[in-house]
Amino acid sequence: MVSKTEETQLSNLESQVDNGGGGAWEYLCLVRKLKVRRSEKVLKHGLSILNDPKKRSSLGPDEWTLYDQVAVAAMDCQCLDVAKDCIKVLHKKFPESKRVGRLEALLFEAKGSWEEAEKAYSSLLEDNPLDQVIHKRRVAMAKAQGNMSGAIEWLNKYLEIFMADHDAWRELAEIYSSLQMYKQAAFCYEELILSQPMVPQYHLAYADVLYTLGGLENVQTAKKYYASTIELTGGKNTRALFGICLCSAAIGQLTKGRNKDDKESPELQSLAATALERDYKQRAPDKLSLLTTALKSLKVSL
Amino acid sequence: MGLGFVIGVFGGLILAHAAYSTIQYRGLLKIVEEEFSGPPMNVVVELLLGLVFCMWAALTVPGKFLSILPHSEENRMVSLPANLDFMIFNHRGKVFPLEMDLKLKH
Repeated sequence: MVSKTEETQLSNLESQVDNGGGGAWEYLCLVRKLKVRRSEKVLKHGLSILNDPKKRSSLGPDEWTLYDQVAVAAMDCQCLDVAKDCIKVLHKKFPESKRVGRLEALLFEAKGSWEEAEKAYSSLLEDNPLDQVIHKRRVAMAKAQGNMSGAIEWLNKYLEIFMADHDAWRELAEIYSSLQMYKQAAFCYEELILSQPMVPQYHLAYADVLYTLGGLENVQTAKKYYASTIELTGGKNTRALFGICLCSAAIGQLTKGRNKDDKESPELQSLAATALERDYKQRAPDKLSLLTTALKSLKVSL
Repeated sequence: MGLGFVIGVFGGLILAHAAYSTIQYRGLLKIVEEEFSGPPMNVVVELLLGLVFCMWAALTVPGKFLSILPHSEENRMVSLPANLDFMIFNHRGKVFPLEMDLKLKH
């Protein structure tokens, strides 16, 4: 999880490294720790460390971690020669390692030779049938080939064994919502909220899915989850604030003509609108007029 | 850190001295055969001082306090990590290769 302080720390380090201020190794460590995808920068700065013998030897055993990181980044940037060289060095150092074997299979994936990658993965799985990373790679391979139903099948099989893996649940939810299967996606997000109730992003995504599904009951639940996102982020999540406004407008439209008891108080919406207005005034004053017209159009339909 | 630690040790010493003087005082009371009604004034002052010093040291020496509020800057999550286990490589990067000439030299 990436918290606000870590994000600022990362962006500070990033600009420092980009401007030649040093601290490349710290930056690479932070990227690894936060699990963010900055392949281009990792490749550039990681290679500059690896090509400097003095810097490289000062890392000690962390050198091999860096080779691993740079190899994956190089594959992501399609610099396959660099990736191959890195893997060769790692292979020389650890000839029997499963981790290097996985990297080699990953290189096949990056090249697009799916059959060879599949062969490599299944031979690795024979040695250790419960290797989570390899099972996940199979899902990713199916996804990369555009075979979404295959990916879902693999992922469901995987989740039957490793139910506590929230990354996999998240992936499944994202695949389902990309295929517009929102009911299934909502189930995955419920699972995620159960396992990690303090992550506002899951509440937000669940609310988004429910709002997209539509229907009075779903929109009302979505509003509650937008509200819980606001609670968890202290009102600093703009998307959740907009969500509250949209949900209130939708509820108002759906309950139009019914008796007064069904209607909700407009208090929450106006609170969200004022919070939005304050936020826009502070951070983007030139876009304030856009916001006011958008909010006005929502209020008209109420 | 250093100062807090010294003050903590000092507070502990004061408390020990208070205990010692209380024992001595009770010994003295036994000799003059008086009832024990309460600790003498200097012991009370020492106890209070020791309490304050030890508390201050205990609050400052171990380190900074971390926020437990979910929406504080340290805890507020702004983004989920990229799902790197499921990373796939056929994206736009394939069409836009890097301009730089990168090579691993050995």
